[in-house]
Amino acid sequence: MRFVRTKTLATAGVVALSMALAACGGDESGGDGAEVEVEEGDFPEGSQMAEFQEAGEITIGVKFDQPGIGFQQPGEDTPTGFDIEIGEYVAGKLGIEPENIGWRETVSDNREPFLENGTVDLVIASYTINEERRAIVGQAGPYYTTGQQILVREEDAETIDGPDKLSEVSVCSVTGSTSLENVVRDYGAEPAPFDTYSACVRQLQNETVDAVTTDGAILLGYAAQDPDNLEVVGEEFSEEPYGIGYYPNDDTEMCEFLNETIQQSIDDGYWAEGFEATLGQSGIETPDPPEQDPCP
Amino acid sequence: MSTLAEMWPFLRAGFTNTLVLLALSLVLSTILGTVLASMRVSPVLPLRAFGTSYVNIFRNTPLVVMFILIVEGFPPVDIRPNIEAIGLNTFETLAVFALTIYTAAFVCEALRSGVNTVDPGQAEAARAVGMTFTQTLSVIVLPQAFRAVIPPLASVYIALTKNTSVAAAFGVVEATAQLSRMNEQTVAGTGVLFFGIAAGYVVIVWVISGIAAFLERQVATAR
Amino acid sequence: MTEAALVPKSAEGGDSALVVLDGVNKWFGDLHVLQNINLTISRGEVAVVIGPSGGGKSTFCRTINRLEPIDQGEIRLDGKPLPAEGKGLARLRADVGMVFQAFNLFAHKTVLQNVTLGPIKVRGKREQDASERAQQLLDRVGVADQAHKYPAQLSGGQQQRVAIARALAMEPKVMLFDEPTSALDPEMIKEVLDVMVDLAKGGMTMVVVTHEMGFARTAANRVLFMADGQIVEEATPNEFFTNPKSDRAKDFLGKILKH
Repeated sequence: MRFVRTKTLATAGVVALSMALAACGGDESGGDGAEVEVEEGDFPEGSQMAEFQEAGEITIGVKFDQPGIGFQQPGEDTPTGFDIEIGEYVAGKLGIEPENIGWRETVSDNREPFLENGTVDLVIASYTINEERRAIVGQAGPYYTTGQQILVREEDAETIDGPDKLSEVSVCSVTGSTSLENVVRDYGAEPAPFDTYSACVRQLQNETVDAVTTDGAILLGYAAQDPDNLEVVGEEFSEEPYGIGYYPNDDTEMCEFLNETIQQSIDDGYWAEGFEATLGQSGIETPDPPEQDPCP
Repeated sequence: MSTLAEMWPFLRAGFTNTLVLLALSLVLSTILGTVLASMRVSPVLPLRAFGTSYVNIFRNTPLVVMFILIVEGFPPVDIRPNIEAIGLNTFETLAVFALTIYTAAFVCEALRSGVNTVDPGQAEAARAVGMTFTQTLSVIVLPQAFRAVIPPLASVYIALTKNTSVAAAFGVVEATAQLSRMNEQTVAGTGVLFFGIAAGYVVIVWVISGIAAFLERQVATAR
Repeated sequence: MTEAALVPKSAEGGDSALVVLDGVNKWFGDLHVLQNINLTISRGEVAVVIGPSGGGKSTFCRTINRLEPIDQGEIRLDGKPLPAEGKGLARLRADVGMVFQAFNLFAHKTVLQNVTLGPIKVRGKREQDASERAQQLLDRVGVADQAHKYPAQLSGGQQQRVAIARALAMEPKVMLFDEPTSALDPEMIKEVLDVMVDLAKGGMTMVVVTHEMGFARTAANRVLFMADGQIVEEATPNEFFTNPKSDRAKDFLGKILKH
């Protein structure tokens, strides 16, 4: 089912006004990210999108501890990162100004519960799409695809050069993460769960673990902080499609809205701009945007 | 039932680890706590001062801080213990360290409060027949303090049971860490998984309370 | 078993001075509770300490086995100065029997265990030997049939007699009694005093803090009158009760004997 878009005069007025505001305040607000267009859409009565637009505010769950993706700098009011760029774009399509977005920290463990109990409206938090999760919550997208890699100490880079060398090797990742499960299940690694990736990196430096694993983008950031001692090794050995979490999972209208919005951000150049301003800062090239999965 | 079958391997592996952590740190903290309590009631001032300082420092330090200090502080100075004989890796051993050092302060205070319930005349009489400080404590005072000590000590052990879950964020795959793993690997709802884990802890706490109640009755009828 | 068996060998022969207090001073904060006490107690002597409450009698008694430490002076037992806290002091205490006002029997041990515990744990005696000796002593103080009860099941008089047996089991050189009958109902005082009189007749060296003037008259060799932390007067019982010299003693006796 598709709904008909009819742009009203009022909407056009709001767009013009918000663009003017954005132009004026450009240096202060989103100065380091991509500019967001705020425009009201026309949503079916009673849909979640209509409710968000009506309320003029939305709460989005993001990571606060992943540089380049979702990261809250101490002392800053709002987090930064690629996930935040996507969140601002989605909110803009609901007619919500960036400053009216409530950023709520979600960690790997509480993303489903937060969606289920309404603590957050959407989750954009390096949230890998998988069937187990889709049985509980909805996941639109993907809007970005990365892959799991391994971070090791420089001197071990020759011996541990890929996931197949991880058997009985002590590998650190965040408690309950997909990455940790992957290396335990597929490569026989010994799991060492910690609550943050930075704690994992300290364990690697302390030599209490021999590898840290998670999405390559995150590992590159840490390797860049200590390039003499740490190295990212091997090919990406999984595909981690990041999706936007919503609830309930049978809200097809919401899924289609999110997928359409992601595609628009790709088409209008916002996606690439946002990537370059965030993850791209670590030196990796802007990848080709992913195809979105069809909605259920 | 398929949910339970799916959860079972995780629960078994997790609670095995939780029970190993609990058993080791319970025994070690009881030994250390008893030594500390003896220090706190000893006639030797430096020992008393040491016991008091220990309790003040470690009872007032959050357990997570203890874990950070030990798990992140020991390896850089080349303290990387493991107890291979019973299959404990470095993280599990360090977790036992942290839990023991922390819990000993509480065991000490539970014992000391029990000692204070014993009439000082008992210790005086013991000294008057020529018993040494150690004999007075072990033969006369502690056995009588035991009864008063059971309920507070049980509380300390119950707290310890729940405190083992802190290790989940410090490299140990115990029951709470398994909750996160199950969240990843099974299709069961979080509520069901939570119930499975919580039930495990409830059983452990229930056993501890049961033993405490049994001991209390035993001591009561022995009079 | 004769009465003489209650008295250890050391009570016979050797230096006659058994307990010596030499310039002993003690303060509780500002309160000068023992003021320059000089005293010698000979072997086989029964010294009864009397005086008004708060005069330092109990403190004096408890310093002799160092349950109360002293601030100045020296206490010698059988020629040896009291050691400071530690194993040496514990050994010395084993030679000094003590009977408390509140009995202080070990509440979690049976009557028999109360009496055998010291000989087994401190003297290293075999359990069987200790038990046999304990049964004799319990028989001697008249509570042999209570041996397997717990202290709380006994009357106060019975408990105090067990406490005396417990002290005697260590074969002490001297026995200290700190108001042994003050916590007893009147009808039980006699049964305890009878045991003490027997002990005194048997030649045991005793220091007894008490308010029982009858015991002082019949059993004491010497009466020490203590008031305000000082030994105000010392005399034979007969001399003290018929012709007290100090005003404090006259005043004290006047108060207690007028009823």
